[in-house]
Amino acid sequence: MTESVHDTPSAIAGSQSCVGRGGGVALDLVGVTKSYGDVHALRGVDLRIPPGRITALLGENGAGKTTLMSLVAGLQRPDAGRIAVTGHDVADAPGAARRALGFAPQELGVYPTLTVRQNLMFCAELAGLRRGAARDRTAETAEPLALTELLDRRAGELSGGQQRRLHVAMALVHRPAVLLLDEATAGVDVRTRTALLDLVRGLAADGVAVCYSTHYLAEVESLDAHVAVLDGGRVIAHDTLSALVDRHARGALELTFHGPVPEDLDLPWPTRPTEDGLRVLADRPHEAAARLLELLGPTSALSGLRVVRPDLEAVFLELTGRRYRDEGSPADA
Amino acid sequence: MRESLPRSVLRVAALVRHDLRLHRADLTPLVTMTVMPLLIMAFVRPLYLSSLSTRYGTPPDGVPFTGAELAVPGVAVIFSFFLAADVGYGVFREHGWRTWDRLRTGPARPFEVLAGRAVVPLLVLLVQLTLLFTVGGLLFGLRVRGSYAAIAAVGVCLALCLVAFGFVLVALCRTVMQLNVFSNVAALLFAGLGGTLAPVEQLPGWVQALAHVTPTYWAMRGFTGAVLDGDGLGGAVLPCLVLLAIAAVLTVAGLNRFRFDDRKVSWS
Repeated sequence: MTESVHDTPSAIAGSQSCVGRGGGVALDLVGVTKSYGDVHALRGVDLRIPPGRITALLGENGAGKTTLMSLVAGLQRPDAGRIAVTGHDVADAPGAARRALGFAPQELGVYPTLTVRQNLMFCAELAGLRRGAARDRTAETAEPLALTELLDRRAGELSGGQQRRLHVAMALVHRPAVLLLDEATAGVDVRTRTALLDLVRGLAADGVAVCYSTHYLAEVESLDAHVAVLDGGRVIAHDTLSALVDRHARGALELTFHGPVPEDLDLPWPTRPTEDGLRVLADRPHEAAARLLELLGPTSALSGLRVVRPDLEAVFLELTGRRYRDEGSPADA
Repeated sequence: MRESLPRSVLRVAALVRHDLRLHRADLTPLVTMTVMPLLIMAFVRPLYLSSLSTRYGTPPDGVPFTGAELAVPGVAVIFSFFLAADVGYGVFREHGWRTWDRLRTGPARPFEVLAGRAVVPLLVLLVQLTLLFTVGGLLFGLRVRGSYAAIAAVGVCLALCLVAFGFVLVALCRTVMQLNVFSNVAALLFAGLGGTLAPVEQLPGWVQALAHVTPTYWAMRGFTGAVLDGDGLGGAVLPCLVLLAIAAVLTVAGLNRFRFDDRKVSWS
């Protein structure tokens, strides 16, 4: 089977996109709170995304990312706070808000007995397009996601990555002003990941506000997105990637030892104990690593050394005190 | 913001076309529920013939009974009930494929989704009833002494009633297994109570009393009135009105109980 990943994602947004409503703010969350019994999933979340901006929601499992997406999509109601999509309040005008929104949830949702074309046509027709227009839109949406060759294949016969692309395409076919992508690249191959990330960049360039939830720090860096760090149901930082790195990231060395940390260790940098060793704070961690090895000498009890560059991972570490884990974290929200 | 009616109609039409595609992709239920009752009609026709002889003695118009006068409508009504769950399977299928949330977050409003999900099951029921009366009638010598229009009117009202019943089932059931069991049990229970397995007058007194609240009884009364008693459209008015009233009650009950955010457990 041949697949080609095209580099023209902006074709999807096009001139008829409903981008631009909502007075400069495409997605607006004010004081949004949601609990499940005693579990506080979101605590007073404020978030504004203007048209054309990619905002990555970053946080461990249970941080509240999926809950936030579900509330914006209208699948659940917040306990408190207000959510508006292109100026339409999700609670008061759900129909108008939904029409401005495209949502690709984490779990795949396609019709396996129908062809790719029929899946896309359905979404286009449901958005109010007539048959001819829906056909055109289907073709336009399929192309940048490398689905053109697959249009007459049943969705159930596609690979996981192809189904993921169809899943995202179904959320885009009506040209939403706001696109919610929840773990859009979970479990896909490199080619599909590249296609999806290119698509997201293209959509943002065409004015679509993208809210992108992910576990993968490298994707956020690749998208050069604004970053909203969620921890314990709160947005603990929200800014451009470079601003967050400038403000919060500090290089470090993480040391582990055979046995406990030696008490007589005297290093020329500030240090902090960690669960399994010691963190050495150094602005130039690579240079510090070489110097450190010299200082400790070959007979030291050092068992491991990890260089933490001043990047998004370091930001997360600095803000939460924990190293970023991309899977399996206990629900802390 | 209020929307124009045409946009709403467009969305319902899109949902109906979509449901048609899904049904067309798997015709097994319709084919099975049409072929199987034709076989059953062949098995039970002698029993119904004997029942007719007991009930009428000699036919009023002198033309001998074939047994199809009861077998065709009786078996058709039973098997139409087996298809009542079709509307429910449609909803459970969406949950199994995880497309239900896509519908909930899409442009269609809740009542449009429900309307779009009701039309095709209604058409499926009408096709099934039409095929069973036509093919069954030809195969087993059904002679309609009254009005074909009366039969059609009762068939449409019965189909509406069954779609409403399907909505009640999907509103009440949490799992597709529950839907499967309840729809089958209901089909057999209503078949017995409503006189499709044996004429109501031959059933115990307490069953005869219960029969009057079942849609199967009124459907059979309407069908046999036209087939056996020579009723015209006028004779179908009462059965049709009662069937429509039952459909209305079931619709209200179903809508009252149905929750879009209920999580349904499907097979897939």
